[in-house]
Amino acid sequence: MSSRTTSSKVSFAAVTPNNLGTVRKLNSVLFPIKYSEKFYSDIVQPDVEDFCQLIYYNDIPIGTMCCRVEEKDGQAKLYLMTLAVLAPYRSRGIGSQSLQHLIDAAAAHTKPKITTIYLHVQVSNEDAKRFYERHGFKEVGLYENYYKKISPHDAWILQRDIEPKTVEGK
Amino acid sequence: MPPAGIPPSRALPLKESGLFKEVLHYYEDRQLKKGLKTADAILKKFPNHGETLCMKGLILTHLGRREEGLELVKQGVRLDLTSHICWHVFGLIQKGQKNYEEALKSYTQALRFDKENMNILRDAAHLQTQLRLYDGLVETRHTLLRLRPQLRQNWIALAVAYHLSGNLAEAKSVLEQYERIVKNVPDYDVEMSEILLYHVRVLEELGEYADALSLLDANAKSRAIIDRVAIQEFRARILSKAGKDEAQQAWQGLIEQNPNCWDYYKGYLASRGIDLEAITDEQRDQALHSLHDFSAQFPKASAPLRIALEIAQGDKFTKLVQPYLKTRLEKGVPSLFADLKSLYRSSSKRDTIEQTVTSLLSTLVHPATSPSPPDTDPTEYIWALYYLAQHHSFLGSHKKAIELLDEAIGHTPTLPELYMFKARVLKRAGDPFGAAKNMDLARTLDLQDRFLNTKAGKYRLRAGLIDEAVEVFGLFTKKDAPSPSQDLEDMQSLIYLTEEADAQLRNGNLAMALKKYDAIHRIFDVFEDDQFDFHGYSVRKFTINIYLNLIKWEDNLRSHPAYVHSAIEASRILVKVHDDPSLATKPSSESELSKKQKKKAKRAEKKVQEEAKKANQNSANEDKGLDIGPLKDEDPDGTKLLQASDPLERAAKVLKPLTTMAKDNIDAWLAIHDVAVRRKRYLQAIQALNRAHALNADSPELHFRLVDFQRRWTSLTDKPSENAASAALSAIQKLIPDEVSLEVFNSQYLQRHSSRADAVLAAAKVSRTLGAPREEVEASIFTALNADTELKLETALAIVAFLTEIRSQRAEEFRAACRAKFQLSTLFVPPEDLAAAQKAVVQKDPVADAVEEKAEIIS
Repeated sequence: MSSRTTSSKVSFAAVTPNNLGTVRKLNSVLFPIKYSEKFYSDIVQPDVEDFCQLIYYNDIPIGTMCCRVEEKDGQAKLYLMTLAVLAPYRSRGIGSQSLQHLIDAAAAHTKPKITTIYLHVQVSNEDAKRFYERHGFKEVGLYENYYKKISPHDAWILQRDIEPKTVEGK
Repeated sequence: MPPAGIPPSRALPLKESGLFKEVLHYYEDRQLKKGLKTADAILKKFPNHGETLCMKGLILTHLGRREEGLELVKQGVRLDLTSHICWHVFGLIQKGQKNYEEALKSYTQALRFDKENMNILRDAAHLQTQLRLYDGLVETRHTLLRLRPQLRQNWIALAVAYHLSGNLAEAKSVLEQYERIVKNVPDYDVEMSEILLYHVRVLEELGEYADALSLLDANAKSRAIIDRVAIQEFRARILSKAGKDEAQQAWQGLIEQNPNCWDYYKGYLASRGIDLEAITDEQRDQALHSLHDFSAQFPKASAPLRIALEIAQGDKFTKLVQPYLKTRLEKGVPSLFADLKSLYRSSSKRDTIEQTVTSLLSTLVHPATSPSPPDTDPTEYIWALYYLAQHHSFLGSHKKAIELLDEAIGHTPTLPELYMFKARVLKRAGDPFGAAKNMDLARTLDLQDRFLNTKAGKYRLRAGLIDEAVEVFGLFTKKDAPSPSQDLEDMQSLIYLTEEADAQLRNGNLAMALKKYDAIHRIFDVFEDDQFDFHGYSVRKFTINIYLNLIKWEDNLRSHPAYVHSAIEASRILVKVHDDPSLATKPSSESELSKKQKKKAKRAEKKVQEEAKKANQNSANEDKGLDIGPLKDEDPDGTKLLQASDPLERAAKVLKPLTTMAKDNIDAWLAIHDVAVRRKRYLQAIQALNRAHALNADSPELHFRLVDFQRRWTSLTDKPSENAASAALSAIQKLIPDEVSLEVFNSQYLQRHSSRADAVLAAAKVSRTLGAPREEVEASIFTALNADTELKLETALAIVAFLTEIRSQRAEEFRAACRAKFQLSTLFVPPEDLAAAQKAVVQKDPVADAVEEKAEIIS
C-alpha cells in the first residue's frame, strides 16, 4: 500500500467532552497505565485542542495523541503525554503522520509560541525511541524512577526544537 | 320600529345598534378588551340580547375564560334561535373544541338564516371535508362558486370536491371550464402549473390516457407546466399505463436524471414487459443485460447493481454479489446487511453471500496484537466480521455472532456499531440487561450521537429500567421542558411512548402503561385534526396534488403500526381491569412512585403552574385563540385513567378503527373479540373469531378463545334474541364442531400441533380452564421441552408466567431447563436474582471499570 493512499485515509479531530469515552477506551487498551480524572479534564480544554487529538483511519478512531502546554519564564514547551495507535493499524505511517501533524500545529501556534516539544519514553522501549529520533527528537536526559509500579522504572527524556512556520509576506 | 323581518327581541335602538357593530369590528381586529367593554355597555340596557351575549362569550373564550364564554354563547343562542350570528359563534366555539359534527350542525343552522354568507359557507365546506361528507361539500362549493365565480380558488375547490366525492368526470368538466375562461395568466405561473398537473392527474385516473398525454405535452411545451421532474414522471407513468412504446424512452430519461431511483428502473423494466415480481427466465437475462448497461453508464450508481441482485440467480448471482460485497466492505458501509437482508428470502442467495463473506474474511484475518499485513486493510476485516455477525444472528446463531463481534472488538474497540450490534444480539438471545450495558458502552464512545443515545434509552426500557432510560433521553430533550418524558410526548415521539408503555406493562404498572398508550391515541387524534387547516390552505395555494395525497394518508391514518399496537395493548389492559376491577385500585408495588420521583414530578408541576401564571399575568389582552390548549396533567401516574368507568366501552372505541385499518392483523381481531364477548355482543365476537380463523386457523391464541367462547355461550342464561342466537350458533359450529366435547377438541388440536410449543401452551391453558388437575397440565406443558418441539424464547417466558400463575411447584424446574436451552439468556433466573441483574446494568462509567486493574497511575 502506498503511503499516499494511507494518508488520504487518515484524519484528525479534537478531543471533546463528547468523544472522551473513545479516548478512555483507547487509553485503556493502549497503555499499561491508568490516567487520572485530571488528565481527562485537562485534555478537553479549548486551549489545547490543537494538541489533543483523536486519530482516525477510514473514519474509525484508532489512536490518540494528547499534550499539555507548559509555560515557564515566558517560554512555552509542549509535553507529549500520549501518542499511540491500535496494534493492527501500525506500520502504515499513521504515527509519523500524526506526529508531523502535531509538530505542524505547534509550529503554527502563536499564543503562546511553542519552542520545544518533549516526552518520556520507558527505557525498555527501543522502538519508540527510534521512532522519535527519526522525527528529529534527541535524548536530552534520563528521568530516574519515572514509573513507580511498572519496571523498568526509568524513562528517557526526548526533545525536539520547533521552528516557527514562516508566514508568507513577512 | 325595527325593519321588517327582524324579531323585536333582536332589534336594538340606534345607539346600541351602532355599539354592536363596534363589537364586531373590535372582534375582527382582535381588540378583545375594547370589544368586551362595548358588549357590556349594550348588555347593561339589554341583558337578554342574544347576539351580544354570544359575541361576549366568544371574546371571553379568546381571552382564555373558556367555560364562562361557552355558557354565555349557549345562553345567547337560546335567546335568539333565528340569528345567524348566534349560530355562527356557537359553531366557531364547537370547532375550537374539535367537535366538528356539532359545529357543522350549528353552521347549517346559521346558513338557514343567512344563505349566502361567504365566511360561513367556507367554514362549512372545511367541516364537511374534515367529516368526509362529500355530497354536502359539493353543494357548498357550488354555492360558493355561484356567489363568486370571479374567485379562481372557487373553481378549483369545486373540482376537488367532485374528485373527493368520486365524481371524476365532473371534476374534469369544471377544470375544462375554468381553463377556458381564465385570463391573464402570467408566465411561469406556479398556480396554473399545479392546476394543469392536477387536470392531467384527473384524466389519468379516468383512464383517458391519450387526452392526459396531449394535455401534458401541450402544456409542457408551452411551459405552462413548470415542474420539469413532474412532467417527466407523469409522462413516463401515463405512457406505461397506455402501453405506448415511448414509455421505455421516457423512463430511460428519468434514470439519466437520477440513476439511483428504484421506481424508475421498475418503470423501465415494466415498459419492456418485465415485472420484477413475476419474472420469467427468459426476461431475467434481458433485464440483467439492461441493468448492466446502466451500470456501465453510471458507474457510481448502486441501484442498478442492487436490482440486478434481485433478478440474478445461481452463478450469475455469485458473480454479481462478490464485487458488490467487496467494494462495500472495503468502503465500510455499515448498512450493508440491512441492504442485502431482503435477498435472504432465497436460501441459495443467502448461502452464496455467507460463503463469499466467509472466504473474503479468511483472506483478511490477522491477529489483533500486531500490525496487519500491508496488503490488507484492517477496517475491511472489521466490517467483514460485523457483516457476518449480523448474518449469523439473523439466522439465530447468536453465539457465533457474539464470537465474531468479540473478535472485532478486540481488534478495534472504538467502533460503536460493534457494541450496538452486540447489544442487539444479546437482546434477541434474551439478555436485555447485557444488551442495555453494551448499548451504553456504544453511547459513551460518542455522547453527541443522538441515535446512540436514543438506542441506549430504548434498551434501558427493554431492561425495565424506566427512570434510568428517561435520564438518558433527558440528555437530548429540551432543558426547559417540565420533564424529558413530557418533552418527548409533546414532540409526538411514538417510538418513545410505545417503548415506555410496553416497559411499564412488563413491569406490571398497568396505570402508567395505559396512560402512555392513551397518549399515543391522542397524538393520532392530533394528526387527524392537523389536516383541518389544509382544507382551506391547499385550495387557496393551489397545491392540489399533494393535498389529495394528504387526504388519502389521513384516511388510512390509524393503520400506522404504533396505533395498531397501542390500541390492542390498551384494550387488553382495559379487559383485564374489567375482569378484575381490583387491579385498578390496589397500588402495585412498582406503580408506587419512589420518593425521588414524586419530588421531581412536584417540581415539574410547579414549574408548569408558574409559567402558566406568568403567561396569564402579562397577557390580559392576549388572544388565546379558540383551540383548547394543552391541559394540566391531573393524573401523573395514570390511576384515574385506569379507574375511569366503562373500561369496555373505551376499549371498543380505540379498537374500532382496526376493523378496517388492520384487517390482516390477527391480534387485532382477537382483541376485538375479547372486548365484544364481554360487552355481550356475541355476533360481533364470533365474527371477529371468524376473521381470525381466516387469517390463521391454527393460531394458539385463537384456539384458546374458541373454547372460551363456546363455554361462555353454552352457560349463557339470558341468550340474545332468537335470530341473533341462531346466527351465532351456526357461526360457532363452523369453528367448533358440536359433535365433539371441548376436551376432545382440545386434544385434537394438541395432536395436530404437538411440535409447536406455543400450541402446547395454549392446549394446556385450555385444559386448565376445563378443570384438568394441575399435575396433568404440568406434564403436558413440559413436553414443550422435547427435543423435536420448536420452543421460542417468548413462548418459554409465557410458559414460565403461566406456571407461576397456576402456582406450579415445577416453575423452577422449567426455568432450569430453559437456562440450559437458552444459554445466553438471563431471563430464566429465579425472580429474586432478576432484580440484581437489572441493577447491574447501570454503571457510572463502564470504561473506567476496565482500567481499574492497572497499577500505574499518572496524574
